[in-house]
Amino acid sequence: MALVGNIRDFGLSDFLYLVDRGDKTGGLYLSHGQETALLFFERGKLVMAVRRPEDQQPDLLVRLGLLTENQLARARASLAARGNGATLTEVILAENLAPREQLQGALQSFSEEAVYGLFGWPEGEFRFEQNQRPDPAAPTIPSPISVDHLIMEGSRRIDELGRIKDRIPSTDLVVRFLDQPGVRIKGIKLSAEEWRVIARINGRDTLAEIAQKTNLKEFDVCRIVYGFLTAGLVEVVKKPVPMPLARGGPAEVPRVKRSLVNRIINRIKGM
Amino acid sequence: MQTVKMVISGAVNAGKTEFIRSISEIEVVSTERRATDDTRMIKKETTVAMDFGRIAIGPDLVLHLFGTPGQKRFDFMWEILSEGMLGLVILVDSTRPETFRETNRIIDFFISYRDTAYVIAANKQDRPNAWSPEELRLALRQPPHIKVLPCVASDRESVKNVLLELLYVIQERSEE
Repeated sequence: MALVGNIRDFGLSDFLYLVDRGDKTGGLYLSHGQETALLFFERGKLVMAVRRPEDQQPDLLVRLGLLTENQLARARASLAARGNGATLTEVILAENLAPREQLQGALQSFSEEAVYGLFGWPEGEFRFEQNQRPDPAAPTIPSPISVDHLIMEGSRRIDELGRIKDRIPSTDLVVRFLDQPGVRIKGIKLSAEEWRVIARINGRDTLAEIAQKTNLKEFDVCRIVYGFLTAGLVEVVKKPVPMPLARGGPAEVPRVKRSLVNRIINRIKGM
Repeated sequence: MQTVKMVISGAVNAGKTEFIRSISEIEVVSTERRATDDTRMIKKETTVAMDFGRIAIGPDLVLHLFGTPGQKRFDFMWEILSEGMLGLVILVDSTRPETFRETNRIIDFFISYRDTAYVIAANKQDRPNAWSPEELRLALRQPPHIKVLPCVASDRESVKNVLLELLYVIQERSEE
């Protein structure tokens, strides 16, 4: 079943997070005015992203200088001969028509740039067709790429305060790591400023305090934390109020008797 | 007579009134008014005060169900309604991702005030293009221990299941 919506309401980075954490396979179709984009994912990783329909065609490999016309014709003939299950990329690699690193580098850069451009869209309809895969002859990336990196880079390109405020409504919020962020951080390239911020995240300091300690502007800290947040590395929470002074913080809920809960359960079961 | 309270919350048109109507023993007391703001685009009438339903548990015990108004300008009601509640059902319209941010805001509101037992009901699962409960969990960034349940608010059995799952959460936190 398709997932549909608008990236104005459910941002692209939120969608990429869902694809990643949900290990989704499928095709994401986006449109904004005259512009379109198509992204394919395999088990949560990006295998292809194009902004123009013609870039799904195998001759993209020639335009990118990865294959000659003759090599492409040979690869397509081999693909046709192999039949079901094989992809053009696999054929190219199996027949050594292009070095793996070269193919990976060029197609990865091409797809990444296609995705980064989408972060600038203020809105756009999306439709995710689950379990849909690219055409076997499409120029797919040999080793699918993690979307964590895409989310971080995409977030760096977001400079709209409104979008950031949606997730980080106040600089009085405390930033803290989610469980085991280390594993995910390993796959992400951080800038020097991002390292400065991440080094200050201790579960006690607010965004405003981190800005003070790093000598960065509060907006820049919010933008950086927005990236971490969107990639699922950290969370922002209200600063705990010391217990004796607690007012307005989370209140203790009086414990209810199990017998009372059991009575309600039995009543509702019997309805 | 002891009364206990559960609160049913969610964004505009998430299905709160229908949810309470499906399970309440009394005709739901609902103060529906003609919508006067942007909710008019979604439904002609919407709940501007609250819905109230009732289930008699026994001669000495009654369960009250309160539906919160969905619009932001009635936020002040949420705190009042949440006082002394046993648990909370957050309803989400699974077909409208544009309401997910608002749903998160509602969850944040309730859990920041109290250590509330809550479940999320992924409503309208009978509609085409409904996001599945697991997709909603990811979209709402809810941790694995929070129950995100399939729901069709017009179906009594589905509503019963959501309430029972919430009660099991409350049961785990209850004292002997």
